[in-house]
Amino acid sequence: MAESPRSEIMARLRAAAGASASATTPEQIARELAALGFASAAVLPAADTCIAFMANVLANKGSVELAADRAEAVRVVGRYLYNRFRTHKLVAGNDPRIAAMPWRDAGVLPRFGAAENGDGAALSYARLGVAETGAVVTWTGRANPGRNNLLPEDHLVLINREDVVATLEDAWLRIRQELPAGSWPRGINFIAGPSSTADVEAQLVMGAHGPRRWHVILVGATPAEALAEAKVLTAATGP
Amino acid sequence: MKITSDHFLEHADAALADPDKAQRRDLLGLFMPLARDAAAARYGDFEALRVHLKQVRRHTMEHLEHYLTRFEEEALRNGNQVHFAATPEQLNSTVLSICQDHGARRVAKGKSMVTEETALNDHLQQAGLDVIETDLGEYIIQQAGETPSHIVGPALHKSLAEIRQLFLDRHDLGERPLEQVADIVAEARGILREQFLQAEVGIIGANALVAENGSTMLVTNEGNGDLCANLPPVLIVCTTLERILPRVEDAMALQRLLVRSATGQPQTSYTSFYSGPQRDDDVDGPLETHIILLDNKRTDILASDYSEILDCIRCGACLNHCPIYVGVGGHAYGWVYPGPMGSVLTPLLTSLEQSNDLPNACTSCGRCAEICPANIPLPDLLRDLRQEESQRQLNSPRWRRGLRVHAWFLRHPALYQRLSGWLMPVLAWLGKRRGSLRTLPFAAGWTGTRDFPAPEGGTFMRQYRKRGKVRRRRG
Amino acid sequence: MDNLKPKRKRTRARRDVALMVTCLADLMRPSVGFAAVRLLERAGCRVSVPDRQTCCGQPAYNSGDVNAAVPVAQAVIELFEPYDYVVIPSGSCAGMLCQHYPALFEGEWRERALALAAKTWELTRFLTEVAPLPSPKRRPLDAAVTYHDGCAGLREMEVKQQPRQLLLQQCGVEVKELAQTEVCCGFGGTFCTKMPAISSKMADDKLDNAVASGARLLLGGDLGCLLQLAGRARRRGLELEVRHVAEVLAGTPTGPGIGDPRR
Ligand code: SF4
Repeated sequence: MAESPRSEIMARLRAAAGASASATTPEQIARELAALGFASAAVLPAADTCIAFMANVLANKGSVELAADRAEAVRVVGRYLYNRFRTHKLVAGNDPRIAAMPWRDAGVLPRFGAAENGDGAALSYARLGVAETGAVVTWTGRANPGRNNLLPEDHLVLINREDVVATLEDAWLRIRQELPAGSWPRGINFIAGPSSTADVEAQLVMGAHGPRRWHVILVGATPAEALAEAKVLTAATGP
Repeated sequence: MKITSDHFLEHADAALADPDKAQRRDLLGLFMPLARDAAAARYGDFEALRVHLKQVRRHTMEHLEHYLTRFEEEALRNGNQVHFAATPEQLNSTVLSICQDHGARRVAKGKSMVTEETALNDHLQQAGLDVIETDLGEYIIQQAGETPSHIVGPALHKSLAEIRQLFLDRHDLGERPLEQVADIVAEARGILREQFLQAEVGIIGANALVAENGSTMLVTNEGNGDLCANLPPVLIVCTTLERILPRVEDAMALQRLLVRSATGQPQTSYTSFYSGPQRDDDVDGPLETHIILLDNKRTDILASDYSEILDCIRCGACLNHCPIYVGVGGHAYGWVYPGPMGSVLTPLLTSLEQSNDLPNACTSCGRCAEICPANIPLPDLLRDLRQEESQRQLNSPRWRRGLRVHAWFLRHPALYQRLSGWLMPVLAWLGKRRGSLRTLPFAAGWTGTRDFPAPEGGTFMRQYRKRGKVRRRRG
Repeated sequence: MDNLKPKRKRTRARRDVALMVTCLADLMRPSVGFAAVRLLERAGCRVSVPDRQTCCGQPAYNSGDVNAAVPVAQAVIELFEPYDYVVIPSGSCAGMLCQHYPALFEGEWRERALALAAKTWELTRFLTEVAPLPSPKRRPLDAAVTYHDGCAGLREMEVKQQPRQLLLQQCGVEVKELAQTEVCCGFGGTFCTKMPAISSKMADDKLDNAVASGARLLLGGDLGCLLQLAGRARRRGLELEVRHVAEVLAGTPTGPGIGDPRR
């Protein structure tokens, strides 16, 4: 019988590594790895994590609005939909946090489920925000089907102030806590901007395949000055 | 993909003769390094990040079998089917048989240099499948019947006017202006959206494979790879062994370096970790997922003196920083990977015989090694390849002879000094009037494009000795 | 080396320096060698020029003929190791000695290569960091000057500010910087004759930037680059004088620039 590609490759790896590596136990390898530690994160544009987060979202060509609580978030979303689409149509995953919001107060009519081709706006409730890169984190499942991040024209994202962490390592720490071994979802998505391309004439254009706009709503008591400061920071450093 | 690297010099001449494209490349060579430098500076200690990833890579490569086995176990546990492919042919036929098992007709592909390497599209198309590239740059060159000129921006060599004409020819959409870049993007978006929705199979590459949980990391700005990974019922990830990293945090460190080096962003719009087919809680996503791990000589490279090239994270920065790449463009290199990384990889993945010009397309200026996020000593690897050429006598016999004669003279200083002491005044006399010579026997390589500055006269050593100052021996 | 101690006492600041002229300065432009000697002496060094020196062996090494480069390197090591310092008016040859010689050998020869590397200096770095030049007593140079950073000097020998600092100090000249100054000029040793079309394109970019800088005098620390740039400038008929930085630092040059007709 001909050797399978797998055993052929493994045999060659063993030969390449020589005797030293094969003599190493998994425990030794784990110790060696642990000793390497993690990388140092990027310097944040501001000491305040939320300001840094907002500044980076803006640098990533996203837009940011503040909402003191979920009731205000509903009004912010309603206003956004009306200004952009002159409708109050919205699609959102079956996220209990979204379902529990007083949508009727703003006349918004969410459809709960997966986004379809042609949907104008989809709303996600992010699990985390990352100040270091201005990203939000979602994962796939009933609460946020993967396509909801990708198919709509506009992607609206709610994120709680207290869920904004400083670095990518902090984000993974939280993800590991919230997703114990074995409950890993199909996809974990870091989103840091609208869908964009610079493939033609190196000119940046939004809406390559997915959302043309990416609108982040920071939920919680954030002073308006914080957002103003983030805007100044973004203007100063530029993309 | 057919290799034409043995025609590097002709390709280069043709590229240099096209001023429009040359200017496009010069702009790339000017602005991309600025974007990268600004991003690295904003990061803080970018160098420490570089060193950290290098250490993790060394560790991973040393224990590649361990991590590969771990990745396979975890990926299987996640419900993936994992395939190994020793050769490009094995990868191609594995993909084809998966497609055929599902009776698939349409395949949507995300950007994948690995499948360029194996020429997967040709293989699938010959079997009657519709394969559509969904990265905008890849889509453009696929429509044009071309190959990528850059590993990050495959169609950056094409002008808006060219792309406009291409779309007018290829898309039967009637009269339309199509004059702005945004019009091009919008038209492609409409066409490709249909493809995402109809494709039965999605194919993507991976920027990293995470051993601890069997997931694959995908980094894009367009989101096309994510659409390929979320919409079609079958997903195939085509990747290579050396993408493996131990932990998600390591993949994140790679991502930090990759994106800043490639485009100057802190993070691309989409960084996704996909682990397998639909779970109970999912309402979308593929029902079946495959991961194909290609070797194609990586294990040989790992065992060779060139193993560091396996650390390459395909950021394209060495291309943008290489004045030779910027001068002649990616197509001159005649295969999938251009620029410094390509000049190392092409001989290793194809053969030195077919690509012996590439290791010479380097001035050892060191700019690529200075910025390579994976800290790969590219000029040293290229020099090693030249050494191999020399040992295997693949360089021109005239060169070898010339160098040997030169080296012989260097080992006979008295003779060298007598001969040069005689020759230089002659050359000086010949160039007395103009100060330089327009032609010189045996030096057409120089005088074809440059004057040869005349020597001043007698050599330094002779003049200095005349003054009685040269040290014979240290006392 | 027997009565080293008393000698040190007597001469105190006098450093025992061997000049490695480099093959290009030896053959093409001896005035660079003489300028280097003058500068080193002005900086208080006792300068020796070991006989039997030819070349550092880069052509063979960079072309992949390591077997030919090894004996050349051994000869250089033997010739220069008796001195306190080795100074070279070229970043590229200095880089060869410092970065590449040690990689050629193992064992004893490697140790000797490393020892030589430890005391080998590029000229302008030596004149700023080891044996600083005294303040000059001469008129400032009256010319618009730009400077080309040779790649090996820049990346292997960390030469960047030193020549600029010396030009300011010694000649009262502030360098008009080239755009994209850290990009290679296309010389690359044998590269320039193996791939002349690409090499000349690179030289053209550099020369265009030099002209755009408004300078009339283009200086550099590596004769390889300077011959390439001067040769291409002459072919294009550009009004640009090209010289090694040592020529200007040692005194207002009287002879013609590289590739220029005799005055
Ligand atoms: S060799 Fe280095 S710089 Fe070049 S693509 Fe690979 S990682 Fe990027």
